[in-house]
Amino acid sequence: MAGALTERDFVAKLERAGFTSIEILERSAMGVEDCSRYPLFTPDVLDLMRTLIPPEQQQTIGTAIVVRARLDRHDCA
Amino acid sequence: MTETGVARDLMRSAEIKQIVRSAYAAVDGSSEMVAQKLYSPEELAQVPQGAIEGALGVGNHLRHAEIDAGETLLDLGCGAGIDTILAAQRSGPTGHVIALDFLPEMLERTKTAAAEAGLANVEPLEGDIEAIPLADDSVDHVISNGVINLAPRKARVLAECARVLRPGGKLTVADLTVAEEELPTEILAHPATWAG
Repeated sequence: MAGALTERDFVAKLERAGFTSIEILERSAMGVEDCSRYPLFTPDVLDLMRTLIPPEQQQTIGTAIVVRARLDRHDCA
Repeated sequence: MTETGVARDLMRSAEIKQIVRSAYAAVDGSSEMVAQKLYSPEELAQVPQGAIEGALGVGNHLRHAEIDAGETLLDLGCGAGIDTILAAQRSGPTGHVIALDFLPEMLERTKTAAAEAGLANVEPLEGDIEAIPLADDSVDHVISNGVINLAPRKARVLAECARVLRPGGKLTVADLTVAEEELPTEILAHPATWAG
């Protein structure tokens, strides 16, 4: 999560790599409790999130997106 | 960027990769919680238990993936193999899925899952997603689930996807994004948030 891009940056990097017809097909909010399903989030970091992130923001600390794109050519990478 | 800046950037990049590598190597694979959230019962019925328990993706991109029989797919960061298995079933015996991961432990799990599913069209491949060990124009479709955000150099990953895809090739990925406003520094500085 710490290394995740914004959706806008993600799409911009796809475009710069030469992808076209870029579609965002799904957006799913990811909150602190969603993170707790993953063993990668240790109990101490989950506690930090619950403590430091305002309660009203804890439902959406990230967004999982599904992206589809096409590669038309190889001249942009 | 100055030479010092480049060196510092590469050092940080190596550090992030090591954090991610250690975190994923430590996963015991004993939870179905992620798979139960993302996949339908019908999908899960086609996948061996080990791959279900090791699912760590963030979405179900395969619902939107147009996979043709006979395609060569590349699963970028295959993990325990749940998406590799589902994609290999759809590409059929004339297609195949290259399952790329930088952890031999994960590749072993994918290999075991493919064997349990009776699939002969899965090819495990050890490598870094920033330097994909495949030839140019060798893949029809790149899939990936919750992996690109873990890479220190995401532009490099996407450029590598473009390099290995044939012209007209497809990319269908699920990944985590964040809002413009950053999370608190204490959270961003925690190693677990670079892997999760």
